Amino acid sequence: MMRPFDFTRPETIEQAIALLSDPAAGERRPLAGGTDLLTLMKAEIVSPSHLIDIKRLPELDDQITESANGVAIGALTTLSQIEASPLIQDRYPALAEAAAVAASPQLRNMATIGGNLLQRPRCWYYRHPDIDCWLKGGESCAARTGENQLHALFGADPCVAVHPSDLATALVALHAEVRLRGNGHHRTVPIAEFFALPTPERRTETTIGSDELIVAIHLPALPAGASSTYLKAMDRKVWAFAVVGVAVALHLEGPRVAEASIVLGGVSPIPHRAIAAEQLLTGAELTESLIAQAATAALAGATPLSQNGYKVPLAEALVRQALRTAVEARR
Amino acid sequence: MPILHITKKQEDEETTIELVEEERLPDWPADADLAIVGLAPARLEGHEKVTGRAQYASDVRLPGQLYARVLRSHLPHARLVSLDTAAAEALPGVLAVLSSANAPDIDWYEEDKLFETTLRFAGEEIAAVAAISEEIAEDALRLIKVELESLPFVTEIEAALRSGAPKLHEGGNIAGEPKLYERGDLAAGLKEAEVVVEASFTTQAALHNAFESHGCTASWSGDELTLWASTQGIFAVRQQVAEKLGLPEHRVRVIKQHMGGGFGAKQISWKQDVIAALLSRQARRPVQLMLDREAENLAAGNRNPTRQHVTLGARRDGTLTAIAAQIKQSTGAYRTGGEASDVSAMYQGLYRCPNVRTEQTAVYLNTGPAVAFRAPGHAEAAFALEQAMDELARKLGMDPVELRQRNYTEEDQVEEKPLTLPEGLRLCYERAMETFGWSGYQRPAPDGAKRRGIGFAAHDWSAGGGHPPGYAWIELNEDGTAEVVTGAQDIGTGSRTGLAQVAAEELGLPLAAISLQLGDTARGPYAPTSAGSATQATLGPAIRAAAAEVKAQLLEVAATLMETDAARLSVRDGTVLVDGDPARSLPVREVTAKIGPHTLQGRGARGPNPSDKAIKTFGAQCVEVEVDLETGEVTVLRIVTAHDVGRIVNPALVDSQVIGGVTQGLGYGLMEERVVDANLGLVLNANLEEYKVPTVADIPPITHVHVGVPDLAANPIGAKGIGEPPLIPTAPAIANAVFDATGVRIHDAPLSRHRLVAALAGQRANARQRS
Repeated sequence: MMRPFDFTRPETIEQAIALLSDPAAGERRPLAGGTDLLTLMKAEIVSPSHLIDIKRLPELDDQITESANGVAIGALTTLSQIEASPLIQDRYPALAEAAAVAASPQLRNMATIGGNLLQRPRCWYYRHPDIDCWLKGGESCAARTGENQLHALFGADPCVAVHPSDLATALVALHAEVRLRGNGHHRTVPIAEFFALPTPERRTETTIGSDELIVAIHLPALPAGASSTYLKAMDRKVWAFAVVGVAVALHLEGPRVAEASIVLGGVSPIPHRAIAAEQLLTGAELTESLIAQAATAALAGATPLSQNGYKVPLAEALVRQALRTAVEARR
Repeated sequence: MPILHITKKQEDEETTIELVEEERLPDWPADADLAIVGLAPARLEGHEKVTGRAQYASDVRLPGQLYARVLRSHLPHARLVSLDTAAAEALPGVLAVLSSANAPDIDWYEEDKLFETTLRFAGEEIAAVAAISEEIAEDALRLIKVELESLPFVTEIEAALRSGAPKLHEGGNIAGEPKLYERGDLAAGLKEAEVVVEASFTTQAALHNAFESHGCTASWSGDELTLWASTQGIFAVRQQVAEKLGLPEHRVRVIKQHMGGGFGAKQISWKQDVIAALLSRQARRPVQLMLDREAENLAAGNRNPTRQHVTLGARRDGTLTAIAAQIKQSTGAYRTGGEASDVSAMYQGLYRCPNVRTEQTAVYLNTGPAVAFRAPGHAEAAFALEQAMDELARKLGMDPVELRQRNYTEEDQVEEKPLTLPEGLRLCYERAMETFGWSGYQRPAPDGAKRRGIGFAAHDWSAGGGHPPGYAWIELNEDGTAEVVTGAQDIGTGSRTGLAQVAAEELGLPLAAISLQLGDTARGPYAPTSAGSATQATLGPAIRAAAAEVKAQLLEVAATLMETDAARLSVRDGTVLVDGDPARSLPVREVTAKIGPHTLQGRGARGPNPSDKAIKTFGAQCVEVEVDLETGEVTVLRIVTAHDVGRIVNPALVDSQVIGGVTQGLGYGLMEERVVDANLGLVLNANLEEYKVPTVADIPPITHVHVGVPDLAANPIGAKGIGEPPLIPTAPAIANAVFDATGVRIHDAPLSRHRLVAALAGQRANARQRS
């Protein structure tokens, strides 16, 4: 059951950041949709002493805006808005598709894209109130030798949890950037750098500072011949985190692949770029045999745990299907 | 005077008497001209429910009511070294704290206590607090200082049976005596067999996950206790709580008006009933104790996991010559007495076979105790037996339904009695196949990696015939309406409505004139627990008997008023009619008004079930699936199911039970699984996020083909229960369809993604090796 906390609704982003960066006042957390934070608090995984409501800050918005160099998505934009946006559906289908298969309609109406990127893993060891897991500051990882059928194939040291976000997988494939605002600074980071494998010193999946807020997500403008898609395997038809998610973004010039992004979700603590597979496709003609090779390359180097070897053929199959879908979508 | 059937029963050293009154009622034959039974009126409580006025256990609010929370062990096996509740007791707002330090000496489970000092599963109760709010109660739990000494533990059936395994109880890890059943000569049957199928299956622990958790509100008035409990058996709770507290049963009143599901887990009284009563007595205030979802899924029951080794032998023509099953199942850390999991029964009874041997062993594990879950034992057995039958049909090159028809039995082979409706299962086979289009099924061409297939499974169920005794009272009011009272309960199935239809039918009143009262031990006569799909089949005849008695009185009075012979009178739609003289009708209310303030009253008892015949319920399901060979995704496309439920009193209620049961069966077959880390002894998914139940997107169109033949050898209304059966065949029917589509047979339930993908990848690797 959730522990008591203070709640503040600041008037401006400066006030919010000042509150977040006050080191004297215990653990503070920004609150937007709350769909992840409140579950963490109810399970007492985190027990912040103070919540800072950022939903009504004038500097943060829920707008999807187009400009010459791309599309900006305000940090408070809900997953439902992204799912329903004709602009996103048209230009960045992988993102619209990822939003559409995330969670449930009720959750998508509440969850914001900013919070979605900052959500913590669903690893059932991490979420268990009585297990002292490494990611929560413990000594070791029980999942490594335990029930790890839902766990990581890549980057799984020292944490074998997988990143839960469908949108993150799509955004990495689409080369998005994250616009951040902190105490007296603004910065923009490529999303691939926004995520980073946890380390003993930083037991999280992101490089955001504790005083920083996500302001917006920026999607670069696309060349002609661009297409993308997101496919997700779940343990039931809807309302489940990805067992494996695959986002593919292609720029095709005639029959040849000018640029390819292949990103896997559900296989690593952060979205996993399949660089070898991308390189295999770049400059080549996308034949069925090349698609099969790319799928194999995408999973090369996977180091399955005791119970998650099935994710290799599953991810390969999704890569193949996603590549075929992306090619068809462009035609 | 009714005939009394008195049976003396000897169990261990205790003698009990079963008393059933016999009341003769004429049958309602299949072609009876019934006006209300057979229709689908809206649920009587529907308006209350959709407007939010229906009161569930957690809705009770009494003046000064407190809220209780329970401190639970976070270790799978531990000794309680020390416990200090002083800080919790001192917290403002805390009015009662209960633990092994101050609880009365109350026995629980087999040889244990209400608050054990040896804790045998993560989630076991250590202490409880009642406070003015749930938050304060929770804060108080954090202030309780507990020192536990961790003990070796075991959470897997195979590991628990190894020599040197950590022992849960002094007698070891085998719970009770293994159950051995033999008929004929198994070895001879196997020798006679021309085809043999032998396979091992595992089924998982499944969690009930009723919408409404277990819980109750307890309130004392002097030495009388009232419990508002979320339970399937108000009289069972009354008896169990009275026994634990050393009270006469009549000093305990149990009330339950509405319930958000039980599925078997609420057929017994769990610790929270007594804990709430003790906290309430200590605090001298009403106490509400509702379990949260985690506690619900750790400490309030589960479907027992099983290991089943099956051998079937048959002659070339498909005649079964041998059935053998070695079954191991886990009862969890304790035997609750409410498990009712007879996994052997389906092996013994579903198919005609002279040579049968079953051996069933229950095993203790350091996990939460198991309890009945919608068709306990049968759902587990069906997953194995019905896949083995499918395998046998394929080995014989025979249609799987034809194989089953060849081994049809019209008797209960264990009891050696004929069935009350011998054609019941045959009708299910025929109706399900016909509606599904089984025989003429044309497999569509593959769509990319997607393959279609169909699967069949059947079941029997040893319950559904009702559990006499059971009683009802009826009072015919002066305005011509009737009050029907029984101590039964409506656990969300719509029993109120189905029972009121029986009363209306027999009384000849419109349904709107019936007020059906149930769910209160102080307001109605005894009725059994709503378990074993028993409520309609038990109380329907009792209510009809009470109604017949009232109607007879009514007609006597009317005969005097109308100056005719009572034998010429009948009642229909609230009007007394004279046979052969349609002009001389009289509204019932004009008769009843003449005798006011006196009212007509009747009492009805449920007679015994037949002694020379066996009552069973049956069903058959056909399923079509699509499987993606690469991603392992299973899509169930359609399910057609037929059930021998006897007379269908209310088709909408029966359809609802069928759809709900099949849905739960689909979850059992495809996704539901309690996951326990064997190294830590902890449940990893005691929640509704990681424990996956089916969503509406997982559920295909479910067609319930009505069989609806009244089983008049069972009881005079001819109705049997439908609550449990629909779940039983769904998982094996899906597994058989998956095999039909892919050639891969999954022996371990559920058929989740990781099992499917691994098996399909293995199949591809084998094919590559062969080529």
